Amino acid sequence: MTALTRQVTEIQSPTIEYGLLAPMLVVFGAAVLGVLVEAFLPRRVRYPVQVVLSLGALAVALGMVVTLADRVEVAAEGSVAIDGPTLFIQGTVLALSLLSVLLFAERRVDPGGDAFASAASSLPGSEDERTLTAQRVQQTEVYPLVMFSIGGMLLFPASNDLLTMFVALEVLSFPLYLLCGMARRRRLLSQEAAVKYFLLGSFSSAFFIYGVALLYGYAGSVRLSDIDRAVSEQVGSEGLLLAGVALLTVGLLFKIAAVPFHAWTPDVYQGAPTPVTGFMAACTKIAAFGALLRVLYVGLGGLRLDWQPLLWAIAILTMVVGAVVALTQSDVKRMLAYSSIAHAGFVLTGMVVVEPAGISSVLFYLAAYGFATVGAFAVVSLVRDAGGEATHLSRWAGLAKRSPLVAGVFTLFLLAFAGIPLTSGFVGKLVVFLAAWQGGAWPLVLVAVLASAVAAFFYVRVIVLMYFSEPAPEGPTVAVPSPLTAAAIGLGALVTVGLGVAPAPLLTLAEQAAVFVR
Amino acid sequence: MQAYVPIIALAALAAGFAVFSIVAGALSGPKRYNRAKLESYECGIEPTPQAVGGGRFPVKYYLTAMLFIIFDIEIIFLYPWAVRFDSLGVFGLVEMVLFILTVFVAYAYVWRRGGLEWD
Amino acid sequence: MSDFPWLSVLVAVPAVGALLVGLVPRRRGVLAKALGLAVSLLTLGLTIVVALLYRAGEGQFRLTEQYGWVERFGLYWSLGVDGVALALIALTAVVTPVVLVGGWDEAEPTGRSGKGFVFLVLVLEAMTLGAFAATDVLAFYILFEAMLVPMYLLIGSYGGPRRSYAAVKFLLYNLLGGLVMLAAVIGLYVQSATLRPDGGTFLLSELVGLPLSPQAQYWIFAGFMVAFAIKAPLWPFHSWLPDAAGEATPSTAAFLSGVMDKVGTFGMIHLCLPLFPQAARDLAPVIVTLAVVSILYGALVAIGQSDMIRLVAYASISHFGFIVLGIFALTSQGGAGATLYMVNHGLSTVALFLVVGFLVTRRGSRAIADFGGVQRPAPVLAGVLLVVALATLSLPGLATFVSEFLVLVGTFTRYPVAAVFAVLGIVLAAVYMLWMYQRVMTGPVRPTTEGMRDMRGREALALAPLLALLLVLGLYPKPLLDVINEGVAPTLSQVGVADPEPVQPATAEGASG
Repeated sequence: MTALTRQVTEIQSPTIEYGLLAPMLVVFGAAVLGVLVEAFLPRRVRYPVQVVLSLGALAVALGMVVTLADRVEVAAEGSVAIDGPTLFIQGTVLALSLLSVLLFAERRVDPGGDAFASAASSLPGSEDERTLTAQRVQQTEVYPLVMFSIGGMLLFPASNDLLTMFVALEVLSFPLYLLCGMARRRRLLSQEAAVKYFLLGSFSSAFFIYGVALLYGYAGSVRLSDIDRAVSEQVGSEGLLLAGVALLTVGLLFKIAAVPFHAWTPDVYQGAPTPVTGFMAACTKIAAFGALLRVLYVGLGGLRLDWQPLLWAIAILTMVVGAVVALTQSDVKRMLAYSSIAHAGFVLTGMVVVEPAGISSVLFYLAAYGFATVGAFAVVSLVRDAGGEATHLSRWAGLAKRSPLVAGVFTLFLLAFAGIPLTSGFVGKLVVFLAAWQGGAWPLVLVAVLASAVAAFFYVRVIVLMYFSEPAPEGPTVAVPSPLTAAAIGLGALVTVGLGVAPAPLLTLAEQAAVFVR
Repeated sequence: MQAYVPIIALAALAAGFAVFSIVAGALSGPKRYNRAKLESYECGIEPTPQAVGGGRFPVKYYLTAMLFIIFDIEIIFLYPWAVRFDSLGVFGLVEMVLFILTVFVAYAYVWRRGGLEWD
Repeated sequence: MSDFPWLSVLVAVPAVGALLVGLVPRRRGVLAKALGLAVSLLTLGLTIVVALLYRAGEGQFRLTEQYGWVERFGLYWSLGVDGVALALIALTAVVTPVVLVGGWDEAEPTGRSGKGFVFLVLVLEAMTLGAFAATDVLAFYILFEAMLVPMYLLIGSYGGPRRSYAAVKFLLYNLLGGLVMLAAVIGLYVQSATLRPDGGTFLLSELVGLPLSPQAQYWIFAGFMVAFAIKAPLWPFHSWLPDAAGEATPSTAAFLSGVMDKVGTFGMIHLCLPLFPQAARDLAPVIVTLAVVSILYGALVAIGQSDMIRLVAYASISHFGFIVLGIFALTSQGGAGATLYMVNHGLSTVALFLVVGFLVTRRGSRAIADFGGVQRPAPVLAGVLLVVALATLSLPGLATFVSEFLVLVGTFTRYPVAAVFAVLGIVLAAVYMLWMYQRVMTGPVRPTTEGMRDMRGREALALAPLLALLLVLGLYPKPLLDVINEGVAPTLSQVGVADPEPVQPATAEGASG
């Protein structure tokens, strides 16, 4: 029991590899600076300062991740792993965060300003709220919040021990709980979403930490490599281990919205401000998949015969439930929520096989899915009527006549979700299914193919609605966005087509990245 | 399969305990309804004062509680550092200063935003 | 000169043309259409060059080119044509300008610009040409699937009142087939990875002759066949075609069933036979049965139709039955006949859809009962319909006769019973075609058909090349047949079947049909 003896020895001052942690430090530093900006700068200049600070920090962090490429090391006394999967996911999350922050900063589509409530603390429908809206007060606290969350997402997939992972999980979650409740329109729905997300998120965190405790009891350490060693040496009680693994994965599967831990997703995605929804659907999911990959592959690889059947069942459930329930949705945000659940199932399909091909396919799929998702939610934020965003699907009828460009771009994203060739979604599905089949999981591939067919139906339904239905007489208008949103949508579309036509560079990158440090 | 027996047993025990508590309570407990039974907490003390506006506590309570937590956490970290000050050396000092500064950022934010004004 | 990537250019010209059309301002509809027509004619010219170069070359696949696309899992932009592919590429190149001319003002009643129509047709042409020329299974699959989207938009944007239903049905049927095929493609790749020393591949040249186990062959063959049978369409996967063709505009329907659906039958002969020889041999009786059912079912339902366009669509199902029958007879006459049938059916069905479309546009109704005595006011139109109808029922002297005859001869040597039933299809074709002609064109002139305009210059321009080709290929099919035979012969040798001896009409094998 080396872990126990280590505790009684003299405490040494640790060595911290600041270079390896630099991307996270930059993002966290920007978040802290953002809080100071909120505290000391006059309201009028906060918006430009915050936007520039956030975007700048994200860009710098992204650049640092790029320079770190090929590093395979552990940092901060082994509690953080900087390796291929970490850097790939950090890069993806940072790029997608850049797009998301562009959407956060949009102030032209809503007559009231941005997508967030003037003051989250004012009662919905109260005199306060009306005054604030009339004075066009706009809060800028969302920027430090989202930066903290991004920082957590950078740390989450990099965590090499379960305690660090838990801290990262909380750091990424808390700001999201707040952001969910800050919608400018339909605030009660938004607050309900926040409470729901907070409650269920806390439960899942509790599961996670309970699992960590049991695993510590089993292995005598929270370090993933120690757990792996303990598993292979079969020390301790196996019941403790299995219970710990089960609870731990519940916590992680909650974050990726896998069935049966998905129930929060539609409500939260619908209620949250649309830029936040896009951010959550893309970045949170990617970061959580990164963490799940690391836990299952690095920490519990030796136990895969135990968790593989479980993951099979969850993957099948997730694909089927996500695709089938999405059929019945009449709200575009809820539909995209169920679609994101189905996509989680597809990613799990690639994850079931414990092979490098599985890792690289999952990494590629996440990147492809992320860009299409942020783009799709950005489009959703543009279709508006007097009450804000017109998210009911019936309101989207005939949209192509009003705005062929917006309808065309949204169609592109939907086709990518459906996995039509020459979009990123097809390549993603292809590599994931290939990896799964090569790993022997061909029944999963067949289920996935059928689920894709079902999923295609509801994507196509939206396309039909936009193109072939007559527009309602008082239908929504398509707001003309500022260059910020336009850039986010444009980049999303560009990547979606680019990865569909020429996926080779990113595939190569993902393949090179598919090695975990232990 | 052997290894899963304890887990299943634990799950069954948990479920059984919950069901047992509810059923046993419903069957064996005396059922005498009176005013005290309907009060919150059912402890004989009237929960006072009623918040203004029906059921909502002023958010200031929570704010104060959270402010306390900020400094509480800070102390929790300061204490072990102080005990091991020598062995951690300059590294510990720098990290601690950074930590305190970060905590003070939160404090400054609360102060500037009027979180310290009770009325 | 031989290094010049002719096939890539052939695919790129309509694709780039589509982009140019897309850049034309919305108001300049005529410019867009003229540009589109010019591009499609340029493609036709390039096709002639390709055909000449093909004649000068040697080997099964000629004009081959190969560029890495995603090399790490063996996806290549790999092109090459054999006789079968060349015939279908030529068909596509001929039909596209015809469809553009034939559908010149079809977009107008819907209030949309003609620009979108031209754009989508050119995109479709590029993808179809690419699919015919692809010698990488995954590249073929990508184009095979991707072409659903422009066709879906064509049906849904420009069609009749129930177009959105028809478009969705079309897409979902074909998408389901395509996804099943995706699973099969992946399965094939994984099999190749285990059987080849240097890993998995999608290249046709590497995959042909791979010693797949019979079990694997059956399953993967089935996956491919489901997709192709939906696309072709073969009974019982056909039900989307009458809806799609019926609701689409005539020129869209013409392109759909004349060219695009040929990708399905092309896939059968080009991929299913050489890749899975044993499965093809063992399962041929099943597919031959389905083909015969298609022939008879399509013809019988066509007789019962009261809607002209749906009648043509069901007739197409019957004819696709003939094509599939010829392919899975696994004889050289059958294979050559089926390929020739694809070309001829393409020509005749496009002509038929267009003529019927002209009638429908004039009358404003698709019901046969709304017509009568049209030959009086519009004699040229009536004459053209008669010629096209005769071509559809395979009158000797017209191109379709040669192919149908070859298919029947090729089938008879192996499956006499199937051939006998298939002959019934010809009789039924005469019934539905001539009966339709009679009800529409002859008889007393109705008040509604009085003064109906005769054929106009543009319409004649669209149909003239088709009629000329039907006639020429009917009288002198040899050059085309030679090219096709060059393509079919290696395929059949890959399947490992020889033609049955013609002197033994009643072999045990023949009785199983």
